Amino acid sequence: MTVGTALVRRPGVPMHTFCYRTGLHPDLVRRYIALGLLSPSRVHSGELWFGPDQVLVAGQIQRLHEGLALNYAAIGLVLDLLERISRLEARAGSTPPWI
Amino acid sequence: MARDYYQVLGVSRDASADELQRAFRTLARRNHPDVNKDPAAEERFKEINEAYHVLADPETRARYDRFGPDFRQIPDDVAAGSYVGANRGGGFRTGPGGGGARVYVDREAEGDLGIDFDDLFGDLFGGRGARGPIRGADQEAELTLSIDEAYRGGRRQITLGGRSFEVNIPAGVTDGQRIRLAGQGGQGSGRGPAGDLYLIVRIAPHPRYRLQGRDIHVPALVTPWEAALGASVPLATPGGEVKVKVPPGSSSGRRLRLAGEGMPNPRGKPGDLYAEVRVMLPPKLTRKERELFKELASVSTFDPRRSA
Repeated sequence: MTVGTALVRRPGVPMHTFCYRTGLHPDLVRRYIALGLLSPSRVHSGELWFGPDQVLVAGQIQRLHEGLALNYAAIGLVLDLLERISRLEARAGSTPPWI
Repeated sequence: MARDYYQVLGVSRDASADELQRAFRTLARRNHPDVNKDPAAEERFKEINEAYHVLADPETRARYDRFGPDFRQIPDDVAAGSYVGANRGGGFRTGPGGGGARVYVDREAEGDLGIDFDDLFGDLFGGRGARGPIRGADQEAELTLSIDEAYRGGRRQITLGGRSFEVNIPAGVTDGQRIRLAGQGGQGSGRGPAGDLYLIVRIAPHPRYRLQGRDIHVPALVTPWEAALGASVPLATPGGEVKVKVPPGSSSGRRLRLAGEGMPNPRGKPGDLYAEVRVMLPPKLTRKERELFKELASVSTFDPRRSA
């Protein structure tokens, strides 16, 4: 029996592309991962794989770090809370206060 | 012209270093582009940082107090008096301390924080050689549309924070949907791409139409005899005038469904239109009408209060 196969592009990028796109040093990326700020998936080869949303999160981390002088532990909390707020707002259909 | 730095931070000209810091921290938190998605917040955030950057350093603050917005252009050794004279005699309003530099920032206190202000705010959001590109933050703004505009869709010019956008509104957009304007959000830094701008659609209330998802509810006003005998009545809808067939014996509240006449759906079935019968009576009867209603009253045995 022959099984039809198709090449499917996995969404996301490997470590070196991620570093290139975000301008982050691989060591810093690994630190972000250790702190639970970034959550890449691990593919079969053991390689770290970064989904499209991770580039956005990296930007958020950098902006919060530089703009509000937050340390990385605090940024983790802020990211969690911001996500929770946007989920609640979406559910409530409410308008964010700045609008 | 740039706003006065003290005004930007909302403090008086003789504010202490502590007051400046408190005002700055509070405003920076509230206007940080990842916390506040208002497109205008990013500009405010930059302004707040610039103001604090200048005022937190006693030397630049003193220069700012003396020379005002041009303080960067004045060479270090220019005396206040000679500058004021040169500047159309205008000069810059100084605080209660007069022209003298009131320097009372406690260096120790600043040191305690362990913060290198140059490092923090030297160049907002990176952009310096060593740092890589940072993508700009996504922004959100509200776009209020009438039901008619949402029904038709099409191009629309909107202005946000001084910038003008031509937005393509998909026909049948519903309340709460987001329209993405790629690359129109917060500025990136260090060659980082800009964020996206999301327009959150709000459908304005309409005096006649009521929306429920993609279904449109609209009252169909009919005369008592149209309601009793049945009629085909014209009805204005966002899609234009339609004819509604009111079946004989329709009481107020009866809903007539016009399949597919609701809001269009870019991805699937359009909504339905519900015409709700509302029997209207002439507020003042003519003599003839009065006679006929009286005759009807004496002939009819119908009693809506006694259900059959």
